[in-house]
Amino acid sequence: MPPSKQDYYSALGILRDSSPEEIKRAYHAAARRFHPDQNMLPGETEIFLEVQRAYEVLSNPQRRVLYDATLPKEEAGTQAPVQIRLQYSRQSLVHLDEPQLVYALLEAGQFEHRGPQTLTPLNLCLVLDVSTSMQGNKIDVAKAAAIRIVHMLRPEDLFGLVVFSDRAEVLLPCAYQHDLNRAQSRIQSIRTSGATEIRQGLQAGLTELSRSLDPKRGNHLILLTDGHTYGDEQECLQLAEEAARLNISISGFGIGGDWNDIFLDGLVGRTGGNSTYIAEAQDIESLLVEKFAALARTFVDDAILEGRPQSGVELRSCHRLQPEGGPIEIGEVLHLGPILQDESLSVLFEFVIEPSASREESVTLLDGAMRAVVAARPIPFPPIRLRMDRPCTPSASKETPPQSIVSALSRLSLYRLQERARNETQAGEYESATRHLRNLALQLQTQGQHDLSKTTLFEAESIERLQAFSEQGSKQIKYATRALLRQAARERK
Amino acid sequence: MIICPSCGHQSITGSAFCAECGVNLLPSDTPTTQKMDVEHPASSEQPKRSAVTSPVVPCDNWVTLHLLDSGQVLPLTARNEFTIGRTAEGQPVMPDIDLTPYQAYSHGVSRLHAVIKRGLAEILLMDLDSANGTFVNGERLEPDEERALSNGDVVALGGFKIQILLKST
Repeated sequence: MPPSKQDYYSALGILRDSSPEEIKRAYHAAARRFHPDQNMLPGETEIFLEVQRAYEVLSNPQRRVLYDATLPKEEAGTQAPVQIRLQYSRQSLVHLDEPQLVYALLEAGQFEHRGPQTLTPLNLCLVLDVSTSMQGNKIDVAKAAAIRIVHMLRPEDLFGLVVFSDRAEVLLPCAYQHDLNRAQSRIQSIRTSGATEIRQGLQAGLTELSRSLDPKRGNHLILLTDGHTYGDEQECLQLAEEAARLNISISGFGIGGDWNDIFLDGLVGRTGGNSTYIAEAQDIESLLVEKFAALARTFVDDAILEGRPQSGVELRSCHRLQPEGGPIEIGEVLHLGPILQDESLSVLFEFVIEPSASREESVTLLDGAMRAVVAARPIPFPPIRLRMDRPCTPSASKETPPQSIVSALSRLSLYRLQERARNETQAGEYESATRHLRNLALQLQTQGQHDLSKTTLFEAESIERLQAFSEQGSKQIKYATRALLRQAARERK
Repeated sequence: MIICPSCGHQSITGSAFCAECGVNLLPSDTPTTQKMDVEHPASSEQPKRSAVTSPVVPCDNWVTLHLLDSGQVLPLTARNEFTIGRTAEGQPVMPDIDLTPYQAYSHGVSRLHAVIKRGLAEILLMDLDSANGTFVNGERLEPDEERALSNGDVVALGGFKIQILLKST
């Protein structure tokens, strides 16, 4: 149990050694949340007064020192909402005159005790492509999926529906959907027409979400499309950045082969979201419903990692294995993604250590803290210290990595081969693209992925003959190898 | 640097899988407690297990397949992993070793039947979920299970018998 009288640091949700900037930032975040202009709930004024008292003391260096002296010793991790586990591919590094690699696998979840959890209510908007190409099976299944989601809504969820082609229409404004029959007949009235302009749908969806924007909710937009958008990519990306500022995350679903997955990845990646490939129209419903179910049992909305490696160490890549497999954009702040109530987060880091760093006795790969953002909680959880380091010895150690890392890396190497072949096709290096796809096919075959192996080999041949990677095939291989990342995380359970 | 035993690509120290061909660069999963006897590399008897002494040289002849029905001998070189099977019309995945000319079909060989590969210390055989199974000295392998081979082992792909001859110098 947390202490009955909380200190000023936990009032702001920060660590005892936070810098003045961090204190300021935490205060601003709290101030935004509890701004007197908003409809205050009972008790929020008291929280805000406490936050203000805390800030007055901690923002003044002299008063902070005096206050710190009155505090009892810090009990480590008493309030941490999640536990972190770290594993490394090597027990120790070696002094070396050339660069070397080490991998770290981070798992964050509730491993020890599972207290009552706050589940965040949703503010969700479904943005549906209804251009002419959606006609037929696709739109019918999409409608059925939308109706299923309406029925799955919890009483506390807000839901809206926007349809778009070259213009957008708000079919259901973001609201509590208590009249299910009305919602259902609105959805059934959807007709297809026109071309695909994603900006139209995105704009209308974000406008809907921001009308009901609520920092205490999971604000989320689901975009479902089957076509290329024409000429408005830049505007779409700007909208996504705007969404990220408002704390709205976007996930994208692309149906069939004729949409731009690189663009969609960039779009959702800016908000910490994920894209999904739907090969066959009949899968629309199950995948959308699965997405909704994941959103509804989100415990931590985003795990944010802030930290940096020591000089001579570079974080070269970062991939999430679970809950959804895919690359994580590397920046000053890493959005590792959500932690579900019943599914931990697992992320694989790849570090390159330059000779300059490997001369020391120990190497700090990453030093920082992870913040678990739980929107439904009025007071943020304090960040969790995170330090990845390895000793460095004169001679190499001979051990094999833990099995969990080996299986993750074996899957990651498949995803990478696919990525490489794709980049090479784009650069016109057809020969190496073909070779890499053939190698990928062989590895898939030995790992028992027979169908995917055949698809890959077929694509390798088509690149060799036609110098083109088919739209459908490239997406299928990319998303299937991504899905294998998650499988690697689950296999060891 | 680690040199890939399969394709010769140079990977940075600490890599677990070859970036070029995806082959596992880690020491074999099965713990190799067996010591290699350098003084007496091969006696006149069948060695229990062949010791491949220099895994970084990718191109020597590391295994020879003796097809028992035809008497044909196939030395394998140049790569460290071969899929074995037969070909049929319209088949997308070709095996590295095609047994079609040796009546593979009537002997119940699948199109991709098994894979033979060179681990760091031993030669491994794995069944690729074939229809009629892969047997080592009469013992059936589970699909996707790796089995270390010894010199003289008789491998059956369905009813197609192959004797394994390992380098004995």
